[in-house]
Amino acid sequence: MTQLIYLTVLLPLIGFLINGLLGSKIKNEKIIGAIGSGVIGLSFLIALFSLFELLALPEDKRQVIVNLFTWLKTGGLDVSIAYQVDQLSITMALIVTGVGFLIHIYSIGYMHGDKGFWRFFAYLNLFIFAMMNLVLADNFVLLFLGWEGVGLCSYLLIGFWYDRKFEKSTTSDAAKKAFVVNRIGDFGFLLGMFLIFMTFGSLNFTEVFARASGLNVPTYVFNFIALFLFIGATGKSAQIPLFVWLPDAMAGPTPVSALIHAATMVTAGVYMVARCSIIFASAPAIMTLIAVVGLLTAFFAATIGLVQNDIKKVLAYSTVSQLGYMFLALGVGAFGAGIFHVMTHAFFKALLFLGAGSVIHGMHEEQNIQKYGGLKKYMPTTYKTFLVASIAIAGIPPFAGFFSKDEILWYSYANGGLIFWLIGVATALMTAFYMFRLLTLTFDGTPRFDTHHKHPHESPAVMTIPLIALAVLSIVGGFIGIPEVFSGSHGNLFHGWLAPIFKKAEIKLAHYGSHSHTTELVLMTISVIGAASAIWFARKIYLKNPQFAVNTAKKFKGLYKVLFNKYYVDEVYDFTVVKPILKGSESLLWKFTDVKIIDGTVNGLASIVEKTASYIRKIQTGVTQFYAVIMTLGIAVALFWIILSL
Amino acid sequence: MSIEYFLNSLYLIKPEIAVTIFLVLIVLLDLFFSKKNHLLPFFAFLGLLITGYFVIEQFDIKGLAFVTNDSRAMVTVDSFAAFFKTIVVITSLYFVLLTVNSKEMDETHDRRGEYYTLMMGMVLGMFFMISGSDLILLYLSVELVSLSSYVMAGFAKTSERSSEASLKYLIYGALSSGLMLFGISLVYGLTASTNLYELNALIVVSQANSFVLMFALLLIFAGIGYKISAVPFHFWTPDVYEGAPTPVTAYLSVASKAAGFALLIRFIKVSFVFDKDTLGFWSSNPVFNWQDFLIVISVATMTLGNFAALWQKNVKRMLAYSSIAHAGYLLTGLAVLSDTGLIAILVYFAIYLMMNIGAFLIVILIKNKTGSEELDNYDGLGFSMPFLGVSFTIFLISLTGLPPTAGFIGKLYLFMALVDAKMIVLAVIALLNSVVSLYYYIRILKHMFLAKPKENSPKEELSLQQILIVLSLVIPVIFFGLYFSPIVELAKNSILMLGF
Repeated sequence: MTQLIYLTVLLPLIGFLINGLLGSKIKNEKIIGAIGSGVIGLSFLIALFSLFELLALPEDKRQVIVNLFTWLKTGGLDVSIAYQVDQLSITMALIVTGVGFLIHIYSIGYMHGDKGFWRFFAYLNLFIFAMMNLVLADNFVLLFLGWEGVGLCSYLLIGFWYDRKFEKSTTSDAAKKAFVVNRIGDFGFLLGMFLIFMTFGSLNFTEVFARASGLNVPTYVFNFIALFLFIGATGKSAQIPLFVWLPDAMAGPTPVSALIHAATMVTAGVYMVARCSIIFASAPAIMTLIAVVGLLTAFFAATIGLVQNDIKKVLAYSTVSQLGYMFLALGVGAFGAGIFHVMTHAFFKALLFLGAGSVIHGMHEEQNIQKYGGLKKYMPTTYKTFLVASIAIAGIPPFAGFFSKDEILWYSYANGGLIFWLIGVATALMTAFYMFRLLTLTFDGTPRFDTHHKHPHESPAVMTIPLIALAVLSIVGGFIGIPEVFSGSHGNLFHGWLAPIFKKAEIKLAHYGSHSHTTELVLMTISVIGAASAIWFARKIYLKNPQFAVNTAKKFKGLYKVLFNKYYVDEVYDFTVVKPILKGSESLLWKFTDVKIIDGTVNGLASIVEKTASYIRKIQTGVTQFYAVIMTLGIAVALFWIILSL
Repeated sequence: MSIEYFLNSLYLIKPEIAVTIFLVLIVLLDLFFSKKNHLLPFFAFLGLLITGYFVIEQFDIKGLAFVTNDSRAMVTVDSFAAFFKTIVVITSLYFVLLTVNSKEMDETHDRRGEYYTLMMGMVLGMFFMISGSDLILLYLSVELVSLSSYVMAGFAKTSERSSEASLKYLIYGALSSGLMLFGISLVYGLTASTNLYELNALIVVSQANSFVLMFALLLIFAGIGYKISAVPFHFWTPDVYEGAPTPVTAYLSVASKAAGFALLIRFIKVSFVFDKDTLGFWSSNPVFNWQDFLIVISVATMTLGNFAALWQKNVKRMLAYSSIAHAGYLLTGLAVLSDTGLIAILVYFAIYLMMNIGAFLIVILIKNKTGSEELDNYDGLGFSMPFLGVSFTIFLISLTGLPPTAGFIGKLYLFMALVDAKMIVLAVIALLNSVVSLYYYIRILKHMFLAKPKENSPKEELSLQQILIVLSLVIPVIFFGLYFSPIVELAKNSILMLGF
């Protein structure tokens, strides 16, 4: 099966081609949905069997490279379409296809009746194709292909309802924003790639990483490479300063938010940094930068999430915040913990988004949580699964989120220091708070909408079954990563599974195991108690005393306004970056450089070419005798040349 | 010559024998079953397929056929020859398909017999141009091809332009082949041999008057240059390509050019190259500076082709100039005088076949509906004929040499060969030429997609067969643009030539 891993990439492509080319002719939603989901399901099964095969192999043999064909070979550059199956990539592949499959199924119900139904499934399949290329690639070029591919699909899907309004503008504007911001990150990634090729003379993972740990390369080179790659990651994974696109990306249909903007694409940056762990481990300064950026992102996004009223906006900022956690993990050298959180986060955040989609669906496109309330009795399944996901993200044991989050917090304490841990725990408390604020306002209390005109309903089975499946995963998904404190001699299974990938990087970092288990248990207890109290607090306020929230908001009006307006980051960007670029490009780039210099040169050259061509054309008179003369003259000239050269 | 030698030689020219048999059969069938002559295209197609099978068989064979007493061979069989023969066979197959699907050829249906006989004659001639290793045989095969193509070019008797094209072709052809024959006789006079392998040694030993020798080579080049329409021997090309029936134009622009190139390459490599270094660069006999000569010719050819194409209003004529330009690009690959250059030429030719035949095919299918090849009549066709419009776009993009089409790969390998040989200036000139070519290729698209459609412009209405033929060219152009290692591998394995 491992040798067939390319099928997991190919099948979604086939699905895309069928639905994309013939979808408008097929029309039948069942067939389109079955094709779209079926190919992903098959991919998942193949990935699953590959996992079993990999598990059966001895630990040092768990890296299989399936070379499809050499795509480009010029000089030192050798690019193959080749897929690398190892512990890290198969984990990512399973997340992408597994969660992706559930979301595809869900979308059959969610997108029912949409005029772009086939287009939606075509894009989703294309996305999975690109994402699988990204995670399975065995070289930077193929990874970049997937990287750009997911960016494109993200753009297409954010603007899927291109004729709808979104906030102050349209969904197309949101899509454009995502694309442009991502381009900035991509540019960084490209620079990183160039520098890698310059330094190591290859773009193949195995070769680059072997040379990175073997060759004697100065640290500043590593710093630059790592910095550029990290800039790429901040774009794709919505970190400070490039996070602004993700909240706007909520303009897309909710399954898209779940799949692309929560579970998979946004974690690409985390995956990439983990994949290049040896490069980052060789650049200590950048590691610290990553940890700080991750921590700040986690913290600030969580504060914004406290006061938002749009159900998807809250989840969007929550995603940014959780991604920040993952980068914090990477930054403190806990690569395995970062990937672990990618996985559990994929379960519960996809579940949250799908649950939100179910609510939006049941409430006829209403997204303001202040206009919900008491939905528990209308949507029991959605409520229960949403509750599970909220507990999981809040970090209450033994749900999935607890294990991954706690591992990150522990490493940030052990490798980073107390201050890292404190901010991390504060973020965790806020997370618990805003999630239960959201849950309470939505499902508990009395309806705040007109019950005579609005009749909320539970979603059909095709949507609730994926919810249940994800809920189960959110409960048990963390058990594969039970920390050493509890599991004893077995150690952390997930950690042990990924360990060979990060071994070299961890040797280089070499700052583990200096703290006792007692400390770990104490810290863990503090964070759990904190999260539980935050939940209790949120329930108390929003269930019993909603006036308290309003009063607090009034009391701290300034702070509330800053948070509500997301620290005015969009406005600041608009003022400092967007406007100057617009102005500058209008006067300098457009009216001067483009019109005068570039157009002038091009038009000038073109008219020279045109003139020359009009003369050349005249040689062709159509008179045969003339042709013969010219030909003989040509020979004569050549002869003359020969004589001269004798 | 013993009977074994003879049989072995016959074995080596199996494809040529197959062609000859089918040529005779077509004549006979036409004679005796003239009422059933609508079956002739199928028969010709079948004959080509069988021939193609024999050609492919020869890919790994190396051998000399018809070796005379003093070990001179008339015919060489090697994978280089097999490669170009495959090009000729595939082009001929498409030639049959193009003819059957061209309305223009309807009036000639009662003369099908002659038509396919002439085609088989051309195939035979081209095969010997590709495989021949004796100047006399080469000259005869060039003549065979030329004589057949004169008639083909004027096959649409009722069309005045077709007849004019034919006549011009004949006059010009007569002049060039006269020059070539003169050159050959001079070479024979200097070296007492017409065999390419012997020439290699004799040219050095004989200490012939080098001026006369160079003059002779120049004259021989005139004959070959006329076949591949290199400047200044290209003058017939635009007139003939425009006037001849379009299937014939397509055929001339690919098959006979391929044969001409094969001849030129073999002539230079076998007779002048005596060694090559580890990087694959050839050491050629200093008696004639082929490199400088080819550089000048190639620059002149591509520049003239591209610049003259800019002003053309007739799509066929534009494609004629474009094919001159492509000959120029191909010559740069030869000018490198190295294995990489040769590989690039083979890659380019395989791709050129697909995109050029494809472009002419679209021109034919459009003319079937609109009855015109004038650019102005292409206005808005992209909307009334979307399938043809999109396919044409792909072929034109490929001809320009832009990714993700195969044309890009062809140019990439050519330019890479130039850069490898440190011929940067030539590479830049070729690159700039591609930029110029973009203008006239895209101009067609501008007319098709940006101009307002004419009123009552005809509908697309293609038969399934026609759609399949178009797809059989469109799909490879895209496919090999993305996954080109098969073509490159094939080319790498096909540069093996007897000699060095």
